[in-house]
Amino acid sequence: MASSSNFTAAADLLSTHTLNLLHTVSEQFHKIPGSAILLRYIRSSYQNDPIRSVVELLLVIFAIRYLLAREYSTKPGKVKLSEEEIDDLVDEWTPEPLVAQTTAFEDADLEKRAIIVGPTGPKSRLANGKVVTNLASYNFYNLVSNEQLKERAIQTLRTYGVGPCGPPGFYGTQDVHMKIEADIAAFLGTTACIIYAQAFSTASSVIPAFSKRGDIIVADKAVNYSIRKGLQISRSTVRWFDHRDYADLERVLAKLDKEQRDKGILTRRFIVTEGLFENTGDVVDLPKVIELKLKYKFRLILDETWSFGVLGRTGRGVTEHQHVDAAEVDMILGSMAGPLSAAGGFCAGSDEVVEHQRLSAAAYTFSAALPAMSAVTASETLTMLQTQPDIIASLRENIKIMWQQLDPRSDWMVCTSAPENPIMILVFKQEVVSSRRLTVADQLGLLQEIVDECLTQGVLITRIKTLSAAPSGSKTDIYAHRPAVKVCMTNGLSRKEVEKAGTTIRHAITKIMTRKR
Amino acid sequence: MSSGKSGRRRRSSSIIYQEPPESVEQISDQAANPNLNSQWVNAKGAWTIHPVIILGLKILFDVMPGMTQEISWTLTNITYMTGSYLMFHWVRGVPFEFNAGAYDHLNMWEQIDNGDQYTPAKKFLLTVPIVLFLLSTHYTHYDLTYFIINFLALMAVVIPKLPFAHRMRFAPFSGAPPDD
Repeated sequence: MASSSNFTAAADLLSTHTLNLLHTVSEQFHKIPGSAILLRYIRSSYQNDPIRSVVELLLVIFAIRYLLAREYSTKPGKVKLSEEEIDDLVDEWTPEPLVAQTTAFEDADLEKRAIIVGPTGPKSRLANGKVVTNLASYNFYNLVSNEQLKERAIQTLRTYGVGPCGPPGFYGTQDVHMKIEADIAAFLGTTACIIYAQAFSTASSVIPAFSKRGDIIVADKAVNYSIRKGLQISRSTVRWFDHRDYADLERVLAKLDKEQRDKGILTRRFIVTEGLFENTGDVVDLPKVIELKLKYKFRLILDETWSFGVLGRTGRGVTEHQHVDAAEVDMILGSMAGPLSAAGGFCAGSDEVVEHQRLSAAAYTFSAALPAMSAVTASETLTMLQTQPDIIASLRENIKIMWQQLDPRSDWMVCTSAPENPIMILVFKQEVVSSRRLTVADQLGLLQEIVDECLTQGVLITRIKTLSAAPSGSKTDIYAHRPAVKVCMTNGLSRKEVEKAGTTIRHAITKIMTRKR
Repeated sequence: MSSGKSGRRRRSSSIIYQEPPESVEQISDQAANPNLNSQWVNAKGAWTIHPVIILGLKILFDVMPGMTQEISWTLTNITYMTGSYLMFHWVRGVPFEFNAGAYDHLNMWEQIDNGDQYTPAKKFLLTVPIVLFLLSTHYTHYDLTYFIINFLALMAVVIPKLPFAHRMRFAPFSGAPPDD
């Protein structure tokens, strides 16, 4: 029992001490200025509800912790380097060469490259003095040697000067630009047209003007490089369909349509294809594409760079060739550089489509306008196409003659172009490739030898040189271009000359393919 | 897009997913122009406007006839929290066209200060609702219902501001993720 009373006494002593201590603390606390306010605040905040006060206290503690935390970046890969580390890295760095070392194949290609001296034409003079039949220029109607056009161009040059020295929206537009826009629109049968200073930048500028990040583009796998750049710049979601496989196009469209319906999202949707394909030469099935675009509610961007001025009875392009109303196509892109022998590109469509581009298409707003003489030349050639249908007829005749010389009669190569296409694209037959086990590099080598052999025999043709078809960021090619040579027909040659050139090409192919190795 | 390092990848089936890191194109588009949509939180007067708006709301609700302090503070709280939630956490992207939609996947809170955490602006914007809540509980005698309503409203704007919620998406609040 004694221990228990001792314990009580000790406890009493302790509590007295504690009370004293508390008393002192509270006295000291009351001496701090503002302590009365704090006490009053806590008392009135407490409101006889301890849980609530605990919640509030926790909030205050949380806020203080948040306020005291150190700032940091959430961006990945940010490393703080010391001065020495930076110096080390700078010392270690060796720049990559701006231009990669050329390969043996490229060296040979460069060495043998034909250089034309003087004006191009059906017969061109090379740097080594030899005159060759030129089947490598897009001089389909031989307008480069048309004196009337030259005269008009020179007259325009004297009146307007060389270039307008300003973008179309900034004092660059001249009356001749408005005339060619009206001419093309009337020629095609659309309500409006806008012209660009460069054919290549037309597609890569029109596509991003309409299609933005989040929008959807369905494109043919074989579309040309300019369109590819446009698709990339637009940042849109791109889905591909197999080249000229419209069942596959329908499959892609139906899938997209269903996806968007399920998610309830509505974006701009486009189909992008070429009229005459730059790298395969074949032609789109426009009525089918129009049918699908109407069925699934997509807009159609049709690149007629190689078909405008070529296909159709008067050269109006795929729309005339396949009897489709040009107004059915939302945007028709075209070039005035190839068949028209001028320069620049255009986009024809409805008023809204065209007006939108005047402020939103990068190449229109930021590039200097087309030189007046090119605009005038294009206007002139359009008139010639309409008033002289025989120049188209004679080109078709020449294509036919050349076709007969090459496609059915060659054991080795086949022409993938449409029969009306003046750019005849020749590739190795599938059975030749498989029976000889030709790799792409082998084929390129053989084609180069064929081109060289033709040049020795006085006919200038060229190999198609493509850039990788891979879209940016993808690791695999979505489409492999077949190695090919192209023969560009012109109506500046007589029947005899075409036949002779065709025979030369055919014999060159046979010679290279049958020689002993 | 090459990643996998930073936590959860987005998958159509999951309820919680994280926005994947930006592609090269997105990064370069984001860097093309300053982000005018989020920059202003560091501008002059952008902090003062918060107390001014709150005071304005309080006065507006106080002058309504038959108003008690509990209802007035609760309405002030809820109005401010709703506005703040919509602006900072609900709406995504940028209302102007100057970087080709490179911010379309991020809400404004994630755009502020380029995604950095614990920056002065973020500290301020997180403190304001907390202080507002503490003030309102101090000056009123909330019953349990009022207290819970106000507290939940506070949580709705505090939780998405925390670093763990950065680029995190909860399917009920933000819909199914786009798959690509």
